[in-house]
Amino acid sequence: MAQEMIEGINPTRMELLKLKDREKLAVKGHSLLKEKRNALIMEFFNILERVKGSRDNVEEKLKEAFDDLTAAQVVMGDLAVQKAAMTVKESIEVDIESRSVMGVVVPLIDSKASERTMIQRGYGFVDTSVKIDEAARKFEESVKLIIELAEIEKTIILLAGEIESTKRRVNALEHIIIPRLNNTVKYIEMRLEEMERENFVRLKMIKKAMES
Amino acid sequence: MSSSIAVLADPDTVTGFRLGGVKDGYPVNNMEEAENTLKNLIKEDFSIIITTEKIGDELRETIDKLTKSSALPMIIEIPDKTGPMERATDPMGELIKRVIGVEMVK
Repeated sequence: MAQEMIEGINPTRMELLKLKDREKLAVKGHSLLKEKRNALIMEFFNILERVKGSRDNVEEKLKEAFDDLTAAQVVMGDLAVQKAAMTVKESIEVDIESRSVMGVVVPLIDSKASERTMIQRGYGFVDTSVKIDEAARKFEESVKLIIELAEIEKTIILLAGEIESTKRRVNALEHIIIPRLNNTVKYIEMRLEEMERENFVRLKMIKKAMES
Repeated sequence: MSSSIAVLADPDTVTGFRLGGVKDGYPVNNMEEAENTLKNLIKEDFSIIITTEKIGDELRETIDKLTKSSALPMIIEIPDKTGPMERATDPMGELIKRVIGVEMVK
């Protein structure tokens, strides 16, 4: 792509000045975007540290929870479990703040899932099995983990999107726009010099003609 | 900002999460129902929607469209009682690979 230029540019001094300004701006934008990209990638690596194994944890916890739930259903019957579940009180409070990473708004969850005793859960003990207590406890724990995982995964998705678009812009500037501006500037400079030389020669010729 | 969690899943999963203290459970039995419920849930002010991997896979397009650009709501997919689904590719891993350019050990 040796000589790609901007089409339809007149080789004048005015255009040259304008193009030089544009080039300066493009270079500045490029270095800023590059910094942004690097910062985003750093943030991305930080969050990757946290995602490690967190999905596996959730899956494991849920598996245990479902096992206990099934056991409870076997012991008490499906309807009884549902009835008990209906009476359970709300346990999880989440506060969602947002945080801005280089202009990307990512969620920041503050969950207050309190460990509850059996009495606080709110279902009766007379007709419920101990398995349901186990299941409830495990589901509480999994909800906590799930919320954490949700935050991490969402952050990753948002950051990834932003990194991709920033990367694309950096590359476009670096490989297409800046070289193109550069080439055009060079072209105009060469044309202007050429015109100057032509003029010079013309003057010489005229002088010679007048002298002789 | 305080906000709430909803569960959109099969009846058993919903029962489980009710036991765990998430009261807003929406049991659904088929995909059409799931899609309609999901659309309603997004209009309401839930900030986290927990759904199962099965539903997530079926409604991938809807979910992507609705959540791609904004931070909320977060839709998170979890395995249901039959355990995690066998997937050919790990979507998170793929994403990370695409962004970083190399495979990260997860």
